[in-house]
Amino acid sequence: MIRFEQVCKRYPNGHQGLDHLSFHIRTGEMVFITGHSGAGKSTLLKLIMCMERPSSGQVFVGGQNLRDLGSHDIPYLRRQVGVVFQNHQLLFDRTVFDNVALPLIINGTPRDEVGRRVRAALDKVGLLKKESMYPIALSGGEQQRVGIARAVVHKPALLLADEPTGNLDPELSAEIMGLFEDFNRVGVTVIIASHDLPLIAELDHRMLTLSEGRLLADGE
Amino acid sequence: MANQPRPADKTDKRPPKSGSGAARSRRDWRHPLRSWAGSHRDSARLALRRIGEHPVSTVMIVLVMTIVLALPMGLAVLIDQVERLGIDWQRAAQLSVYLQQDVKPDAAQTVQQDIAAMDDVAEVQLLDRELALAEFQQHSGLGDALQQLAYNPLPDVILVMPRDIDGGAAALEPLRERLAQLPGVDQVQIDMLWVERLTAILSMVERFTGALALLLVLTLLLVMANTIRLAIESRRNEILVIKLVGGTDAFVRRPFLYLGMLYGLLAGILAWLLLGVGLAWLNGTVRELAALYQSDFELTGMPLQDGLVLLGGAILLGLAGAWLAVGRHIREIEPQ
Repeated sequence: MIRFEQVCKRYPNGHQGLDHLSFHIRTGEMVFITGHSGAGKSTLLKLIMCMERPSSGQVFVGGQNLRDLGSHDIPYLRRQVGVVFQNHQLLFDRTVFDNVALPLIINGTPRDEVGRRVRAALDKVGLLKKESMYPIALSGGEQQRVGIARAVVHKPALLLADEPTGNLDPELSAEIMGLFEDFNRVGVTVIIASHDLPLIAELDHRMLTLSEGRLLADGE
Repeated sequence: MANQPRPADKTDKRPPKSGSGAARSRRDWRHPLRSWAGSHRDSARLALRRIGEHPVSTVMIVLVMTIVLALPMGLAVLIDQVERLGIDWQRAAQLSVYLQQDVKPDAAQTVQQDIAAMDDVAEVQLLDRELALAEFQQHSGLGDALQQLAYNPLPDVILVMPRDIDGGAAALEPLRERLAQLPGVDQVQIDMLWVERLTAILSMVERFTGALALLLVLTLLLVMANTIRLAIESRRNEILVIKLVGGTDAFVRRPFLYLGMLYGLLAGILAWLLLGVGLAWLNGTVRELAALYQSDFELTGMPLQDGLVLLGGAILLGLAGAWLAVGRHIREIEPQ
């Protein structure tokens, strides 16, 4: 599903984001990416999303070499991926329902199907009753779950999460991770960047450890 | 690999997921068209909501646009109507045939009859030189000075109304030449010079209005582009999120283009109203002025066709201004 081949990412300020990184994540896997802040976790996810381009090396997503994607193709790549951000990236002037519906609206899902799918996604994260509320009225954990519902509402084959439990207490964090495991169980490839080592240790999944842009350990 | 289709087209290689197969089969060939129309409806609704959210800035931009639109359009309508007046006057064209000083009254009448017999002459009127002098003394304010004259300096004049009056001065030239050949005729004048002057002045004003309109349209485009640019800037975060979940530039662009068109529509309606009311208000004084010239000329108000052109133009200008802003600006906002 995801293949990195000798990927380097050097930023204009001289910072080496990734340094000859190579790995392969198969379809249906659930993988944690850990490391200190600045180790290259976010850079790795951004390369998969085409938010950034590698300085050298190649990235394959679903067999597609991202090098061959023009800027007009990038939106269509992103529609195949669900992303959960640490800071949720919700739109605060839209209701929970409208936030979750956004990916469906963007890919042109028929109207009658939008409502059904949004409610299914909200039901999955346990927020069905809050669909008409605004995100500002929700707790941090609830906002994160709205973010997750938005990431999975269009049934992506690949789900990325960048520090999804960053600001949550351990109990909520475990709950969120449980959600990701549920999605993985139905066939979604899940990649989670996190430095919450105690939490990750409890879960039995492959773990890629990064340090200064290099692969330190692959707990396959 | 290089000529592979977009990843969107490769969904089928992915492992089957619950429900997605059924969902896909329900989408028939009408789906893309329907969702395209739905997306446009959403964009239009979003634009309407944004207008509602910022009433003050909306009023400002719409008023600026209204003034900028109404000014050249109002001038154009006015010129159009005054030109109509000019054409009316052109129809009143006549030739003045001045007879030589020594022509006797009998001979003058003979000439008058000769002219009246011509095919292309509709009507003839002889102005007696003695009568003309008396009238001139009365009305010119030069009465005393004219009294001092030893003889009547005015010739007999025959006013000739041509039958065919649509061709303007040039078409009357042959008739003028024939009249000049008649015995006892000193000179013949076509009394259209002032109409031609009016036409010339009007065409000058028209050209000025054109240049003014061009400048104002340019102003309008810049104002619109700046307004839309600010609207985009205030939505930067939303644009980032939309792009992150796979929104194309076109999807992001659409609500802003609708916003531009809505501004244009509102300004067009207001400008139309303004011109309608303005022309009606002006009409009162125009009628008074016309009455002083024994004319029943009046402004006819804003013609429907001009109004529709104004409305369409306003919407197009709004769209064009928005295009100027969104083109580069939205491409530059990329998630980092």
